Amino acid sequence: MARDLAIDLGTANTLVYMKGRGIVLNEPSVIALNRQTGEVLATGREAWQMIGRTPGYIVAVRPLRGGAITDFEITERMIRLLLQRVGVSRFTRPKVVICVPSAITEVERRAVTDAARRAGAADANLIEQPMAAAIGADLPIDEPVGNMVIDIGGGTSETAVISLGGIVALEAVRVGSFDIDASIQNYVRREHGIAIGERTAEEIKVAIGSADPTEDENQAEVRGRDLMTGLPKTVLLTPEEVRFAIEDVVSSIIASVIRCLAKAPPELSQDFLVRGMYLVGGGGLLRGLASRIQRETKVPVKLSNVPLEAVVLGAGHVIEHYEALKGMFMGARR
Amino acid sequence: MTVVLVIVGVIVALVLIAVVVAAVRRRRTPDGVATFQRQIDALSPEARRPVVDQVQQLEQEDED
Repeated sequence: MARDLAIDLGTANTLVYMKGRGIVLNEPSVIALNRQTGEVLATGREAWQMIGRTPGYIVAVRPLRGGAITDFEITERMIRLLLQRVGVSRFTRPKVVICVPSAITEVERRAVTDAARRAGAADANLIEQPMAAAIGADLPIDEPVGNMVIDIGGGTSETAVISLGGIVALEAVRVGSFDIDASIQNYVRREHGIAIGERTAEEIKVAIGSADPTEDENQAEVRGRDLMTGLPKTVLLTPEEVRFAIEDVVSSIIASVIRCLAKAPPELSQDFLVRGMYLVGGGGLLRGLASRIQRETKVPVKLSNVPLEAVVLGAGHVIEHYEALKGMFMGARR
Repeated sequence: MTVVLVIVGVIVALVLIAVVVAAVRRRRTPDGVATFQRQIDALSPEARRPVVDQVQQLEQEDED
């Protein structure tokens, strides 16, 4: 008998929740392929370690960008392999709930559900990431009060106001932590004349990246390839430089939060001042982001205790109460 | 006489089938209030206790 699954198919990471067992898989959404034969060489963490370090015939790719499938066939293969790893076979076909950005198009929705069905799911339903995040972050969304969730993922940032089990206001931008990494890459190339890979950019973000000045700021040594000479080169990067490099992305995320606040009905707006907003998603871990949003919106911001797992835990709760909560699936409310 | 009885029997059977089908359909039609209440109940803190327990477990693992 197949155990039903909830999948947070993120641009950065894929998490799988198995009914009755909890989170059973948490891996980067990366797949490594032999370019010549099309054979899959690695998935998840193993494939992530190959990014930017592969010989010509191997390609390590992220098949999702901005929360949407960029390569249908590769995504399907990645999902199939992930499902196999959690015990799904052709004889055990589970029901699957997949978390997706709320702003995806009808075509993108169909691509995700088709990929899951072809990969072995008996039935595939979608749920909006902010809704799943609110359930997973344990917000009182069953009450008639305003709950605000900011979910900053790898490729999308979404802000939603939720009350009585439904989304009241929503604002989404296709900007996320990967855009922060790309901004750092571009800045280092432009200002220091060295090329760095996306993994190095991510390491810089984690080490010294911030959206607002913080205590204990240190410089970081960055190693890359000199664009003029082609030789390896080391430069020093300051936290101020990183803040300057990522300012456009951070501003764009904060602007979308403000737009969502403006869309919220006045009766719910007053709740935010008391209850605050909840920050989830890997992007929420950027130092100083919560304080920066709080400073610019004048609304308290709290970081979820489980920012990376909140979405899949919420979807997991839906799979545990499938019959009662199936009205929350995308398309079910139309 | 027999023919009349057969026709009456067929009509009665058809009516019975129609009544049963209508009853089943009515039962299948989701009652908005009940469905909404079930959804709200499934989102209550009590129903979400297992999720909260898992959150605490993950926090514990992070601390360790």
